[in-house]
Formats: sequence, C-alpha cells, structure tokens
Amino acid sequence: EDMLDEVVQKVITDRDTLTLLDLSLTHGVSEEAEDSNAVQNVLYAELCRNRTNNDKYVDGATQTLNGMPKVKKIQTNKNIVVDEGATATNWDLHDSYCEQKKTPEAHEADIQDLTASTGKGQDRTAESISGDTGNSVMTALVFSGLIITVTATRPDLEDVLMSDSFKSSLLVMERAVATNVLLAELAAYKNLPVDEDEEHLSTPTMKHLWVFVCDLTKGYKATSMAWSKKNSNILAVGYIAHDSKNPNPGLICCWSLKNPKWPERVYSCHSDVMSLDFSANNPSQLAVGMKDGSISIYSVNTEGETAEGSRKHLHPVMQVTWTKHQLKLSEKERQDVLVSVSIDGRITKWFLGGSGLDCIDLMKLKKIYDAKKKAAGGKKVEGNVLVPAIPALCFDFHPTEYGIYLVGTYDGLIHECSVSNNEQFLNTYKHHIGPVNHVEWSPFSPDVFLSCSSDWSMHLWQRGVSAPTMSFRSAYSEVHIAQWSSNSPALFAAIYKQWVEVWDLNSNIMFPTIVHHAAADVELTSLLFARDSDSVLVGDTEGQVTVYKLPNLRVGRTKKVKSLCNKNTCKHTDAEPQNKSIYVFFFIIFSWCVSFCTNSHSVLSGWLCRDPSNTLK
Amino acid sequence: MKVDVEGTLKRIESYKGVIGTIVVNAEGIPIRSTLDNSTTVQYAGLLRHLAAMARSSVRDIDPQNDLTVLRIHSKKYEIMVAPENNYLLIVIQNPCE
Repeated sequence: EDMLDEVVQKVITDRDTLTLLDLSLTHGVSEEAEDSNAVQNVLYAELCRNRTNNDKYVDGATQTLNGMPKVKKIQTNKNIVVDEGATATNWDLHDSYCEQKKTPEAHEADIQDLTASTGKGQDRTAESISGDTGNSVMTALVFSGLIITVTATRPDLEDVLMSDSFKSSLLVMERAVATNVLLAELAAYKNLPVDEDEEHLSTPTMKHLWVFVCDLTKGYKATSMAWSKKNSNILAVGYIAHDSKNPNPGLICCWSLKNPKWPERVYSCHSDVMSLDFSANNPSQLAVGMKDGSISIYSVNTEGETAEGSRKHLHPVMQVTWTKHQLKLSEKERQDVLVSVSIDGRITKWFLGGSGLDCIDLMKLKKIYDAKKKAAGGKKVEGNVLVPAIPALCFDFHPTEYGIYLVGTYDGLIHECSVSNNEQFLNTYKHHIGPVNHVEWSPFSPDVFLSCSSDWSMHLWQRGVSAPTMSFRSAYSEVHIAQWSSNSPALFAAIYKQWVEVWDLNSNIMFPTIVHHAAADVELTSLLFARDSDSVLVGDTEGQVTVYKLPNLRVGRTKKVKSLCNKNTCKHTDAEPQNKSIYVFFFIIFSWCVSFCTNSHSVLSGWLCRDPSNTLK
Repeated sequence: MKVDVEGTLKRIESYKGVIGTIVVNAEGIPIRSTLDNSTTVQYAGLLRHLAAMARSSVRDIDPQNDLTVLRIHSKKYEIMVAPENNYLLIVIQNPCE
C-alpha cells in the first residue's frame, strides 16, 4: 500500500518520426518542368490506347458495402438566451461624453460623495445606482466594482431633504403653488385678459389684489420700496421696527411677485431703514440709507449678505438714489453714482474708496439770507460765521439732463442745483409753507415736477417758473409722498396718513379721482407705482405692502401735462382771450353754468380759478 | 441662501388648495407624505415613470437642458412634480377651491 502512495514520475517524450512508406513520383518527372502536364497527358493517352486491345488489362467490377446507419442521440445544455435592450438617447450620449471628460479624481470624488452620503459611519455600504432613468455606459463600468446593498430609509430621508437640489426644487414648487393661488390677481396685475365682466362703477376705485406680508414683518412698518431695475418682478422693501427694543431695528426684504408669502431675501440692519434704491448698472446692488446716517450696499444675488459700511452722515439719511454720471460718453457707458440726501443738509455722492464707501459733498444747504437784510445788518455771511444747515428731506435727479437735481428742504424751499456747482443754487422755488416731503420730476413731461409738503398741499411746477403752475389741496392732512405714475403722463398718487389719493389730471384737477382709505389703526407710510402695470403698492405701519390695481382711467385721452400747464401759465396762446377782464368775468359765469352738466369743463373752471391768483401776483 | 427646508415644506402645505405633498426617494419608496399610504403609493408609482419620460424627452431635444417642474393640470386639480436624480417631489393642489 505504501507503494501505491508513492509519487511516481513519468516522463512523456516525443519519438523521432519513423518513415514507413515513401512514395515518390514514379515517372521521375519533376513537377516544376513546364511541359510536365503536357508530357503526362501524352503518356496517358498512349496508355489508354494500349489498354483497349491488350490482354494484360481486364475489366473488373467491385462493390463497396455500405454499413447500416445507426442513429446516435446526444444532449447538450440549453444555451441561455437573455434579451438585452438599450436605448441610446441623445442625453445619454451627452452624459457619457461628459463623464468621460472628467478626470479620475473627479470620479473618485463622485464615488466618495455617494458612499459618504449614505450609511453614515458604516464602512461597506453603498447606494445602488438606480437604473430607471437609464444607465449610461460609462457609469455602469465605473460602478461595477461597488458593493451594492440597500440602505435603511432613515438616513435616506435626511439626505434627500438636505440636498441642495431639493432646496431649489422646493423654491420652484413654492412659487408654482403661490402663483396658482393668485392666478387671477396676477393676471389682473399684468393686464392679461381675465374673464370677468368689468363693472363700470360710477366712481372708480382701486381694486385690492394681494398683500406682501409674512411673520417676519410683524412689528415693523414699511417705509420705503424700490423696484429692481433689471428684473421687474423683484421688489425691495425697507422696514423700521415699531419698538426700539427689537434687536433688529431695521429690516430689508426682497420680495418676488411670484411669492407674496415669503420674501426671497431677508436682511436685518443695525438701524432703521429710511430709503432704498437698486442700482441700474449692477442690478444686484441695493443701496440703503439708514436712520443713524450710514449707508450700506447690499449685494442681493450672492448667498451671504455683503454689506459695506460707510462714513456717516451726522443725521438720518432721508433718501438715496442711483443716478447716471454726467460726464460719460455714451448711454451704455454711464456708470451709476450713488447720491444721498440727509437731514444734516448735505447732499453727498458716494463711491467705493480703498476701505469701504467714501463720500464727497455735492452741496450743503445753508440758510439764504435776504439781500435787504444783509445790507441792513451790515454783517457778512461768509467767513467764520457758522451758518446753520437746513435739513434736506428729499431730492430727485432730472430724468434726461443728468446733473440737475431738485432738493426739497425743511423750510419749504425747493432748490434746483447742479452737480457741477456746489456753492450756489440754480433756482429756488418758494411757495410751500411747511417742510417739503417729496419732489419728483415728471417722467413724461420735460421740466415739470411735482412737490408735496406737510402744509397739506401739493404743487405742480414748471422748471424756470417761480410760481407753481397748479396746486392741489384736498384734505387737511400732511402729504407724505406724491409720486408720478410711470405709465400715464397725467396720473399721480399721494399718500396721506390715513388714505391714498389718485389724481388724474385729464379728468379732474380739483379733486382726486380715487380716494382709498386704510383700515382703522393703520397708517400708510409708503407708496410706489408699478412699472409695467397699472398698479400701485402701498406700505403701512403693520408691515404690510398691499398691491392695488388702478382702473383704466381714460387711457385714450391722455394729454401731456405740459399742455395743461400751458393753459394755466401767464403766457396765453391764441386760443385764450387776450383781454382778460371782461372775458374772464364772462367765462366764469358761463363755465359755472355749464360745469353742472358735464365733467370736462372742470378743467376750464380749474384754470379760471387759478387765473385770478396769477393776476394778483 | 439659507432655505429652511422644514419651514418651506410646511408653508407649501399651508397654501390655499394644497391637497398634499409627497417626497419619494430614488427607488420609488415614499419617504414623506401628507396623504394616506395607499394614495401615496399610487401617486409615487405612477408619476415616477411619467416624470422620467418627460425628463427624457426634454433632454433628448437639448441634452444640456433639464426638466425642473412637470405640471399636470387636470379638471379637478393640478399635480406638480419636481424630478431629480435621487428624489421626486410631488405637490397636489386644487387651485379653484
């Protein structure tokens, strides 16, 4: 038995070849001879001739026996056939191509991201790459080496919820849901045809559309609003906290029209926000003027908030605006310049210096002394005497002539100034008795502007004419803001404490066309016209910004305000009577009779009521 | 931009007319839903394929494009689906309530 277990070595070798039979060619004719075939044919033919009559050759027959066929069966394993189909879609090819372009490190990073995102702390888990969207060829190859196990659903939920793409999907979805809710109102805002029968009311009213409000704005009042210059869906609203103990006294919210329930951006400021404006050149920059005199620029499009502080004004900044610089070559190159006006009487231009914002004074407002008083007093006002500065409350740059601007002051004067001259005013318009709260150039009529003040009145002025062309007084309350509409040349709105008035100068210059009262306990604080729609936004002390739609106020008959002004100025055209005394008396009687019948004559009567006051001056 | 996911989801659910929201993971298993289980599973199963087909069509035309939201507006309500690689967000809203 031990012999059986022995390992015996056998060596198999190959033997040399043994030749058993070697048949060479009998004829000894080499095959390479050229005529070998011919020679052989001749020889063969001779042989066949010899055979026929020769006794040596005898014909014989043979038969081969065919064996019986036998059927033999074999069996093999079935070849397993699998049908595999793949659709090479356009995007699949694109994805594979992009994957291929990626470096191997990027691949590693991808794999690591996927393994890290699932099964936290567990070593050998990986998520299976689902194939329901179609595997691309490259990824199949790459991930073939991974261990595939199904992870628990608990970490799944968190990962999905925390991923960035989920957040962006949520945003889109929220906007979709919100716009669904507000479909009719948004269509009304955008002037799209809605199937409602339009009720022609005798008195036109503002229609309430929706409100921008959320939990964050409770306890604040809305003070200023501004549209983004590039994207007309974005609105920035500045807020002031009601009670001073609030850690965030100022708040800025950027709202989108698509979502009135939650602002797109929220920034809190260290001080009350008085005024906001978006830049036109860098549409994501928002300049904010605050109550403590500082100015910040927020960059709206980045993830974080970047605010740049500044050297301060001494007093609250009342208004900021971006305006075009005067000295550039073409329209497109004009850079925006930030200018602010504040209660310390300075109008300053800001620019980005080495460390934050820096400013240059464009103008300082000082008290104007009468020439007579100066001569009588014998004192000279220049030099060492400290001249008290006058608070400036508002300003506005001319829409076409860059460099000319108006300033409204606390003592009721409106100064017209130029950027290039920081000592003297070009012109002063004096008619208001109280502080001028708002001045604005008309966006349609050149050289016409509107001013409103706390002396309960609003005046319409023409540049160069020292007396107001028209005055509007309808209520015994301070006018906070009066703004021109950006769509109709003769439409403007004014905010009083408790109500909004909309004046349509085409129809009636004595009374406002629409008066809308706020709810009780709520005071209205800010106003803004919508740029591409007939709507007006009103902010109030509850922190709400309400959007109202204005009815179409005789859009067909819009005349420019200048033509109305022409009737009222002392320069009469041919249509008006030259001989004032007789004709004026006549016309007053006539128009009073007629004005009871039609509304259109109110324009004429308004003119006539103004005329006596003009002649008195 | 810090988006508060939970807050936004709750806000979406509180809008007027929203019937429910469903979040489905990559395998088609619903991971968060405000509707009952059977409805959720039905919606998840049916909409997964539809969203994938829609996405495939959009990307076929231009591979650099991608589907953000698929909105199916039917007689009774509107179904909005936001498909992504590893999840599916479904919101059902009845806007005319």
